[in-house]
Amino acid sequence: MIIITIKRSLWFALQSFWRNIWLSLATIFIISLTFLSINFLVIINAISDSAITAVKNKIDVSIYFKQDIRESKVAEIKSHLETLTQVKEIVYISPDENLRVFKERRQDDQIIQEVLKELEGNPLSSTLIIKAKNLSDYPEILKAIDNPAYTDLIDKKSYDDHQTVIANINTITNNIKKGALVISLMFVIIAALIVFNTVRIAIFTHQQEIGIMKLVGATNGFIRSPFILENVFSGIMACLVAISVIYFILSLVQPHLANFFNGVDLNLIGYFNKNFIFVFGSQLLGIIVLNIISSSLALGKYLKV
Amino acid sequence: MIHLINVTKTFEPKTVALKNINLHIEPGEFISIVGQSGSGKTTIARLLIAEIRPDKGKIVVGGWNITGIKHRQIPLLRRQIGVVFQDFKLLPKKTVFENVAFALQVSGVPKSRINKIVPQVLKIVDLGDKLNRYPQQLSGGEKQRVAIARALIHRPKILLADEPTGNLDAINSKEIIDLLLKINEFGTTVVLVSHDKEIVNGLKKRVVTLENGEISQDQKVGKYVI
Repeated sequence: MIIITIKRSLWFALQSFWRNIWLSLATIFIISLTFLSINFLVIINAISDSAITAVKNKIDVSIYFKQDIRESKVAEIKSHLETLTQVKEIVYISPDENLRVFKERRQDDQIIQEVLKELEGNPLSSTLIIKAKNLSDYPEILKAIDNPAYTDLIDKKSYDDHQTVIANINTITNNIKKGALVISLMFVIIAALIVFNTVRIAIFTHQQEIGIMKLVGATNGFIRSPFILENVFSGIMACLVAISVIYFILSLVQPHLANFFNGVDLNLIGYFNKNFIFVFGSQLLGIIVLNIISSSLALGKYLKV
Repeated sequence: MIHLINVTKTFEPKTVALKNINLHIEPGEFISIVGQSGSGKTTIARLLIAEIRPDKGKIVVGGWNITGIKHRQIPLLRRQIGVVFQDFKLLPKKTVFENVAFALQVSGVPKSRINKIVPQVLKIVDLGDKLNRYPQQLSGGEKQRVAIARALIHRPKILLADEPTGNLDAINSKEIIDLLLKINEFGTTVVLVSHDKEIVNGLKKRVVTLENGEISQDQKVGKYVI
């Protein structure tokens, strides 16, 4: 009996979907638009995340050691700093490497090149470039560098130069994240209301049928399940439509993204591929749950015959 | 078969549809409930299928006291009473076959049995060649015959026809009434709710007349006299 009922519910749902094809298409269209707007927000979030990451990656602390400091001492400091949990990466640049890079950068500056020729030996010293895991970790790292044992060894630190910039970026990125969260929540609420009302309208058009079904002896469950399945089916179709449209648009836009964002590595297709199950799975699950709730609530009104 | 004992029904705000009605219908009877609009005849039909509940009194259908019937039991009651309505109440997006089959599908009858019975019943109502038509492709008389086939598909002991000829012309009306008489001949109790004088007078069966929610006449072989 249960298997027969499930089979019939599925069959009725598909039959009703097909025989009310214009209503079904209208429902799919509206839910697809809702999906698209949510995914547009996902794209905006992905872009802002990439931009923030790119900016963060450009921030580091450089420690310039005094000229007479031996490489072994610098290596010792490097090893010590690497033990800090806040440190992501430390790059050691030897005096020779520093000189080579300096010469390269200033190769068109004749005066600099001549001065370097006049000098005996390498005037540059060793440098450590430190990257933190998070922007907020830099003060801790700086505290470690400010160790009195190192004070006499260090010529200067670059962090002092852009401490304010780092603080500002930190505040801005945190605000962007908070803003994105609020906007996302608003979008989700609006999307839920749109889907809820779309389903209600779809059920409203069937109210006469629901009454007839009741009068010929159908139970509430027998009436309810095909309508719920039909709306869930519309939700799944809308999700598939939205996925197709998003990938189509991204395939057109992707080649131009790097130019548009001035060299920021932004692979949106890669982002969606990587997070496919989370992004679309959560949306699909959301739409299924929302459809079940909306259908059940809308049907309840017409089942009291 | 059907007993209404001291039944009263009032609709808000203060419209008394039925006042202390006592009506007993025997198995196999053909009874016409007549009266003017608002006399309470449709209220009786709605009470019998538990679409509404009485304020006072007791209703027994086929030995089942349905006065305080539970919501989940209503579908079971409706599968035991065949109902035909003035506006046919067919499912517009289902074919003739599917409309009739639906009444069986709701009670979990297997597909093989449905495929066997439905064409047989549709043949009885002379629609054997229109199984795949949709309601909008049928005439009024044909729609009502589909509704009768649907009502009969469960082989109910009671057939309740609420103004079944209200939307039909004279020829189609006669065909429908002949069909109801034929169904009655096979032993089904038929309750006809009507305000069509000509039809009721032509039947020469029991007539219960309602006036302002009360039974004014109950004649074994009666006439519509209002």
